[in-house]
Amino acid sequence: MPILSIRKESGSVSNLESTSALHGFAAPGRYGKRDGDAGVTASERKNLGLATIAARKGQEAALKAAIQSAYGADLPDGSTSAVGKGVRFIGIGPGQWFAVSDSLANEALADELSTKLQGLASIADHSSGRAVMRIEGPAVKDALAKGLAIDLDPRVFVDGAAATSTLSHMGVLLWRDGDAYDVALFRSVGGSFWGWLRASAAEYGLEFVTTS
Amino acid sequence: MAGTQINRLSGKGLVDREKTAHFQFDGEAFSGHPGDTLASALLANGVRLVGRSFKYHRPRGILTAGSEEPNALVELRNGARREPNTRATTIELYDGLDATSQNRWPSLRLDVLSVNQLATPIFGAGFYYKTFMWPAAFWEKLYEPMIRRAAGLGYPSKLTDPDHYEKSNAFCDVLVIGSGAAGLSAALAAAKAGARVILCEEDFELGGRLLAESDEIDGKPAQEWARAAAAELESLPDCRIMRRTTVFGAYDGGVYGAVERVSDHLPVPPEHAPRQRLWRIVAKQSVLCAGGIERPILFGNNDRPGVMLAGAVRTYVNRFGVAPGRTAVVFADNHDALRTATDLAAAGVAVRAIVDPRPQASAAAEQVAGEAGALYIRGGIENVRGAHGIKSVRVKDAQGGSKEFDCDLLAMSGGWNPALNLTTHLGGKPAWDSALSCLVPGEDLPPGMQVAGAAAGQFSLQACLASGEAAGAEAAKHCGFSPSALRRPAPAQDRAPATPVWYVENSRGKAFVDFQNDVAVSDVKLAAREGFRVPDHVKRYTTLGMATDQGKTSNLNGAAILAEATGRYLGAVGSTTFRPPYTPVSIGALAGHHRGKDFRPTRLAPSHRWAEEQGAVFVEVGAWMRALMYPRPGEAAQETVNREVSNTRTNVGVCDVSTLGKIDVQGPDAGELLNRVYINAFAKLPVGKARYGLMLREDGFAMDDGTTARLADDHFYMTTTTANAVKVSQHLEFCQQVLWPELDVQTVSATEQWAQYAVAGPKARKVIEALLDAGQDISNEAFPYMACGKFTVCGGTPARIFRLSFSGELAYEIGVPARYGDVLIRAIMKAGAEHGIAPYGTEALGVMRIEKGHAAGPELNGQTTAHDLGLGKMASTKKDFIGRFMGEREALNEAGRAAMVGLKPLNPKTRIASGSHLVKRDAQATGANDEGYVTSMAYSPELETFIALALLSNGPARMGEVVKVCDPLRGNETLAEVCSAHFVDPEGERLRV
Repeated sequence: MPILSIRKESGSVSNLESTSALHGFAAPGRYGKRDGDAGVTASERKNLGLATIAARKGQEAALKAAIQSAYGADLPDGSTSAVGKGVRFIGIGPGQWFAVSDSLANEALADELSTKLQGLASIADHSSGRAVMRIEGPAVKDALAKGLAIDLDPRVFVDGAAATSTLSHMGVLLWRDGDAYDVALFRSVGGSFWGWLRASAAEYGLEFVTTS
Repeated sequence: MAGTQINRLSGKGLVDREKTAHFQFDGEAFSGHPGDTLASALLANGVRLVGRSFKYHRPRGILTAGSEEPNALVELRNGARREPNTRATTIELYDGLDATSQNRWPSLRLDVLSVNQLATPIFGAGFYYKTFMWPAAFWEKLYEPMIRRAAGLGYPSKLTDPDHYEKSNAFCDVLVIGSGAAGLSAALAAAKAGARVILCEEDFELGGRLLAESDEIDGKPAQEWARAAAAELESLPDCRIMRRTTVFGAYDGGVYGAVERVSDHLPVPPEHAPRQRLWRIVAKQSVLCAGGIERPILFGNNDRPGVMLAGAVRTYVNRFGVAPGRTAVVFADNHDALRTATDLAAAGVAVRAIVDPRPQASAAAEQVAGEAGALYIRGGIENVRGAHGIKSVRVKDAQGGSKEFDCDLLAMSGGWNPALNLTTHLGGKPAWDSALSCLVPGEDLPPGMQVAGAAAGQFSLQACLASGEAAGAEAAKHCGFSPSALRRPAPAQDRAPATPVWYVENSRGKAFVDFQNDVAVSDVKLAAREGFRVPDHVKRYTTLGMATDQGKTSNLNGAAILAEATGRYLGAVGSTTFRPPYTPVSIGALAGHHRGKDFRPTRLAPSHRWAEEQGAVFVEVGAWMRALMYPRPGEAAQETVNREVSNTRTNVGVCDVSTLGKIDVQGPDAGELLNRVYINAFAKLPVGKARYGLMLREDGFAMDDGTTARLADDHFYMTTTTANAVKVSQHLEFCQQVLWPELDVQTVSATEQWAQYAVAGPKARKVIEALLDAGQDISNEAFPYMACGKFTVCGGTPARIFRLSFSGELAYEIGVPARYGDVLIRAIMKAGAEHGIAPYGTEALGVMRIEKGHAAGPELNGQTTAHDLGLGKMASTKKDFIGRFMGEREALNEAGRAAMVGLKPLNPKTRIASGSHLVKRDAQATGANDEGYVTSMAYSPELETFIALALLSNGPARMGEVVKVCDPLRGNETLAEVCSAHFVDPEGERLRV
């Protein structure tokens, strides 16, 4: 007996409406420098499936084989990512990966991984615990440098590269997707992240775009 | 007299004469040109007196043309942007600049405290230490405020800085520090080899001393060569040129600190631009090309305005097109300084004499003097006349004769010191080069650093170009690039033997070593007589080398005087230790964006927006903001808390517990891990049940507590206190990685994933039932106390429900994915409306847990054991766990140990303050009688009395005893009865209905 009349969102099994980590902080629009094209464009990648995969003891080879057969991706050893069948697998530590998916939205990714990797890995759902911000634009590296001590030179931080680091004192997982950088941050610091981004991108002009 | 730049030389210098910049100094209007510094513009306008000295209030002028300036310190700007002690020699002139002189009253020319000069015999080294010793109580109240008023330089603005500062990170293969001949050559060699290069220059123009000398490179004026080199660097894609950027420190791992003065050259920062930017530069290799700093020769009254370093004189003439005087005398012990006479003469300044203090006559000097129309005299400066600006100098010649020369400029030089400060920041020691008579970089450089040019003691232009190019190429090679063949051959050693002269003996008047701190030659000699031997000790005793310039122009002269006074070889005396920063860095730049609320990130719970709408008052718990209470209009704080507690105990309340730490523990050995970290057993906890657990530190003291639920055979869900969430996660990581890597268990933080609400009170079940999707049962029979399970709520939303209670009432904690947290709290409130639901904050939560005698932060204070907390019986005797062994230590098991009890004041209306100490009823409130202290207190609306939790010696055996509660801080004493900590529902009947 649903007690709220709330629209159903895509990819969700719930009748409740979800709330973005940036809700109430970031309204779509232009911030900082007004003239010319925005140097930095930011958007939130909503309803992503996000999950950690931690290999069970002695099961790493079997886990890799299972991922290869299910998704056609080779789990990377190190801070980089592999993409296969709608899922990006990012190395975050020895025997640990962070999985990101558009198509397996929200809890669906963790649910599927739990089923397919039964006994091989411990899966934890983070689809609500992290907000993934996509940051791009001609000045993206200069803006990110104001909080992130990672060398983003394209020859060093190649496409698919990833880093577990801190951004302006906030723990983040960052990866490069083409010319864009995705930053997964803890949901609770959405407001602080926005405050930092707004200040750091102001001199280049910041466009905040909402996605459906 | 705006517009009368009487000392501006026609046709010379690099300033933009097409444009005029108007500025004010001490309220008087002047003008200069873009490209000027404040110092060059003041000199152009004939202003020589710019400040008063620190201790004696002596009139001071401009000594240098760079960041080493000890004298010309001014207050720049006004209002909230006022900056004291800013070096006029580094301030880039802008239209509208407003500067004020410091340390004078009522005015710069007439300064009352300059009477201090008359007392100079008293104000010797260590004066304050020796004089203001007694009585001790006078120091703080009288002496220090008095001294601070009289001494000290400018005053900072006490208003909030209106500008934004920020920090940034940069990475490169080769960092080149300094853009003189060596730096430009190094950057070109490295960048052309393909290396990623960052070139930092503290000035606003690239070129270093190339801008200041009338040199030629490859047949062209050196300034043209510098411009071409800069243009070539700009055109290379991987070379980043950072002007107005000082590399101030070298740190571990190839990290360099730099500050970029982004907007200091503008009246106010442009919209969206920061004032300054602090850079953390990570470089695989670095080439230090910081150049050299000229040193003075000391003589009586050498601090008078118009006495200037010879290199600075050439800078003002050649770079700024300014004659720092009309009639000059040059006093130098080296060949380099002779150029000053040549350049001055070429600029039309009359050069009266070149005075050479060296024992042997120099034919070259004599020739230069002849060409410049000056006398060549072997001898020294005996005295200087003219307080506010020199009028004449008295020269004592080698034959003992003495002659007075009228002049308004004395250009002096005692040779150059390499600016090697950064080479010592990681502990390296400079080496004494007896041929050059200066300290040069030692063997022990920061890893990856090379030094080139004057900073390496390679003083000639050819050597700068060649050593810079070689170092740049070498650095690129270290980074895996293949530089092309070097263009410039290294010149033959240009180590002309130097005969340094440090000071003129028997000159008249005070001869200053450190101008900024008013330390004279006589002070250093006095320190030596009093037994000081080490330069670092002399620094602290005399203040030589302290403050904004850190002795850049004075350290070596001071060491030389010390060496002579103690009969030692200068090379054996050593130097003071150079530490970062090389030049002052503003606190604003160090703080960057992290000011005020941005000091650190703030964590907001999923219900935060909703709580704001309810008018919640928040409290910081670690980085989290938690709702403290939800006051209604007209309510006093105590009334709010009483209402929230009573409503929860009689109807139903809801509290956001999302901030509690949550850790997902999975794997076949998950139960075993929990068994080892908790004092009580977890391995056999049935699926679908939760249990309270306490974990200890290795030393046997309580670390944290919480409930852990078993969701599946190999899946537990642990909760921690909000404050200790990170610490417990680290603890588990340590256990897994270090203590028991053999366990097959995986942990990950789930704090952020779940929004979790405690719905508590007699009507809690009705509220939860209204949210549950059909066909699910949470009745007492189906879902008893401490049960847990997965459910769906509100039309298919996955939820975890735990029948846990911190309040002591029938309660459910309901968790949903955090993105539904905001709508779920609204749904709970809507479902609970008919049952009188009201939210409660952490204050009411605290009251209820005190009523229930649950230990929390104030009791889990790092000094209590399980036994102290009344939880000793929980500890399993059938298994080992962290803290068990150390917990068996005798002192932790003494009968007299303080343990947790309840307290009720004899008068229920008497508040017991947390932190109060407990003594026996009739005992005095002394430390010797101390038996424990109050950890937590609350007003219990149910019992209608204040209550408290306390740690009392042998407490559990003293039920019913009356003790005295002493609060010496507020001067209160009251009597209270020792009782059980379980004030409300001690049997826990309400939990199980």
